[in-house]
Amino acid sequence: MSGTYTPNNQEEISQFIYDSYQANKPIEIVTFNSKPIGRSIQCSQTLDLRKNSGVIEYAPEELFIKVKAGTPLIDILEILKSKKQSLGFEPVDLGYLYNGKSNYGSIGGVTSCNLSGPRRFKSGALRDHLLGFTAVNGKGECIKSGGTVVKNVTGYDLSKLLAGSYGTLSVLTELVFKVVPEPEYAETFVLYDLNPKKAMEAFSVAMKTSLEVSGACFYSKKNTEFLRLNDIDSSKSVTAFRIEGPKKSVQERIVSLTKIFKEIKEKTVLELYQSNLFWKITANLECFSNSQNLVAKISLPPTETAGFISQFCEDDIMDINNKYFVDWAGGLVFLEINDKDPSYLILEKIKKFCKEKGSHITIIKANDNLRRTGFFVSTSDENIKILAAKIKQSFDPKSILNPGKIYAGI
Amino acid sequence: MSLIMPEPDQLTLDNSESIIADLRKISKNVLSEEEEKAVYETDGLSVHRQRPIAVVLPETTKEVSEVLKYCYRNNIKVVPRGAGTGLSGGALPLKDSVLVSLGKFNKILDVDFDNRCVITQPGVTNLSITGAVQHEGFYYAPDPSSQIACSIGGNISTNAGGVHSLKYGVTTNNVLGIEMVLIDGTIIRLGGKNLDPEGYDLLGIMTGSEGLLAVITEITVRILKKPQSVRAVLIGFNTNDDAGNCVAEIISSGIIPAGMEIMDKPLIIATDNFAKAGYPRDVEILLIVELDGTESEVDTLINRVLEIAKKNKASYNRASESDEERLRFWKGRKAAFTALGVISPDYICMDGSIPRKKLGNVLNEIASLSKKYGLSVANCFHAGDGNLHPLIMFDSNNAKELKKAEAFGADILKYCVKVGGVLTGEHGVGIEKRDLMCEMFNNDDIQQQLSLKKAFDEKSLLNPGKVFPVLHRCAEEGRVHIHKGKTRHPDLPRF
Repeated sequence: MSGTYTPNNQEEISQFIYDSYQANKPIEIVTFNSKPIGRSIQCSQTLDLRKNSGVIEYAPEELFIKVKAGTPLIDILEILKSKKQSLGFEPVDLGYLYNGKSNYGSIGGVTSCNLSGPRRFKSGALRDHLLGFTAVNGKGECIKSGGTVVKNVTGYDLSKLLAGSYGTLSVLTELVFKVVPEPEYAETFVLYDLNPKKAMEAFSVAMKTSLEVSGACFYSKKNTEFLRLNDIDSSKSVTAFRIEGPKKSVQERIVSLTKIFKEIKEKTVLELYQSNLFWKITANLECFSNSQNLVAKISLPPTETAGFISQFCEDDIMDINNKYFVDWAGGLVFLEINDKDPSYLILEKIKKFCKEKGSHITIIKANDNLRRTGFFVSTSDENIKILAAKIKQSFDPKSILNPGKIYAGI
Repeated sequence: MSLIMPEPDQLTLDNSESIIADLRKISKNVLSEEEEKAVYETDGLSVHRQRPIAVVLPETTKEVSEVLKYCYRNNIKVVPRGAGTGLSGGALPLKDSVLVSLGKFNKILDVDFDNRCVITQPGVTNLSITGAVQHEGFYYAPDPSSQIACSIGGNISTNAGGVHSLKYGVTTNNVLGIEMVLIDGTIIRLGGKNLDPEGYDLLGIMTGSEGLLAVITEITVRILKKPQSVRAVLIGFNTNDDAGNCVAEIISSGIIPAGMEIMDKPLIIATDNFAKAGYPRDVEILLIVELDGTESEVDTLINRVLEIAKKNKASYNRASESDEERLRFWKGRKAAFTALGVISPDYICMDGSIPRKKLGNVLNEIASLSKKYGLSVANCFHAGDGNLHPLIMFDSNNAKELKKAEAFGADILKYCVKVGGVLTGEHGVGIEKRDLMCEMFNNDDIQQQLSLKKAFDEKSLLNPGKVFPVLHRCAEEGRVHIHKGKTRHPDLPRF
């Protein structure tokens, strides 16, 4: 067995993995190859899941959809849209980041990466919306967990573990997602020209209100050119707050935000169309569209973000000038690191910062060399790695599923 | 009542005295006298009782680590315990076990409004977290009915829910980080004040693991700002189907209520008598819908809900005009368990989750099972998230009635699984529903979960005999479970 195998259904997936298990042959798992994320995998077999595709059951009034894992995410979003529903974690289209154009990939791929958009800090991550799954483990056995209901504590919550496991524990075959009603209306309140520290303070102020902000991001003034929206002045830094709900309620809350930030002179409001466009561009990381450099995301306690920015992103005195933006109301920084520092010393410094401040870094785009030899996620506690290795073994005893994708040797 | 638990280890029992002496070298809080241990012999599932070798109440994470390391080296079973309010027997001691109570881990360590989180020790009660942040208008969202007594550590173990989980999620959606101790004494910190894990989501797997994977010693939860406005509406119906259709239509119209509860007639009468909530007594089914948000948003949604109710043949409706009135609407529902205790000497509380659209079917099935078994039943239902709590009434002085009530309960849960639901929504499997796991999972599913358990606890020393059938193969357990049906679903405390 070598080359690419494209099974039609779960039975064929199970048989292929069983045979590979018997033969000790590792497998790289792909669907549309839309996300070259994680460490490189060196193996002769590729399992392509694109044919295991289709909606199994969609129950709008029950707020769930059950799909085969190879289903294109864009198809699912269109089906949900027809019933004015969506996926609550605000799916991310990383096609722009990797290839300069839209490519959502498959629902299974997005699940394996636990990718969540700007609404994450309010509505939860992808893993919070995954109600259940069927998968094939590293021995070729079909396993399931969860169901179609929101409240469920029947056995271990394996959905959480498989979301974000990058295909290293099992091959997902069927997924059940909770769905949510689409917001009726939305507007975005924008403050201009804040420095990063002031922007982080503004996030903190807004998040302490009951205005239910559902998006809060910051673009520094050196990273706004790509925001080609009619109602945005892209010559200044942009601090944006999204408000969603019934129109009257949205407008009342925008008025409240205007009052709270009355001291700040330069501000504007993006109405529905422009607002939706702004957050789509933000969710899809379009500011890094087709970037040739390394791109990382750093998850931080919001109060540590201003300090992180001045050390690693932007500081006039220290002459630091990396392209970045901040999402999740200050909880997430996306940072581009220029290839001119081939040894990536900055990564080691960021890892050290993360260890001290209770945060972590994930490299979401890297060149082939770094993907082969470098780290993918920063895990400073060796005991977590030991536990991760045992968990990997409990699902995939011969380490044949995406070996080494998250950690070298695991 | 007999309950099959793992065979006690004779060597451990023979060495009890030396074990107690060794534990005293680690912790000054070791209870070994029978009357001291009596407090810990059961949890909220009080029909099963067993005293352990000793109860240890450590005061620091290091002490927990030392106790576990000692037990690991000496192959001694360990049962962790929070507040002991769990309804599924998850904290029932084993005869040859050391019970580790987190009762002395009772402090809130950090209230951080800027990062919108609280760091707490696991023995702190659920409601105390809200208590520590409400002066700034914040609260902790999951609100199980036992929130005044249950501990946050226990909430993580059973992934506790409450009445607001459709909109605000259950425990797993509201926990940011933990510190935990593995059975070999290794201390690990997961997550913290930031979002999402590095590598595998170990925090996600720990939540709802019922004390089988590690002992939790510190917890970081996220806190939310209270909504500007909250109103509730009472809606009465004459049939189960009308109520079920109304619930489905509210949801499919795009409204996500903060809470949506259903009670049937026996419970309407019992709770209204008990709490004087002002419920209509001439309806068969009562729905409470709570909506929150800005004032205008809530007013708009209330009107939409009332329109939907009218369309679905509601025979009664009333929207709260003040917060006092809203709280009165809830007063009856929240007293449901207590109110039922007044009219029946004993009852069993079940905890299945079902798809919302199956509500009518399930209520009708419960009614016909009630006739079949000759036992009365009252139903309350978290309609928003599909979590059903049928309360089966019986008299424990009559041994036959207890047996019938257990069989009735098992039949309800099997029916929940049959219509696409699950065995337990928020109480946990524990020992109560352990032998029904094979109704939902096949042998490969169970074996995978057991393999995962071994990744954390290779010797199976941590809380053994819980969650999974004691005989590891479903086929074998299926036989046991048919013959020994009497071991399931005992009565529950009234709190």
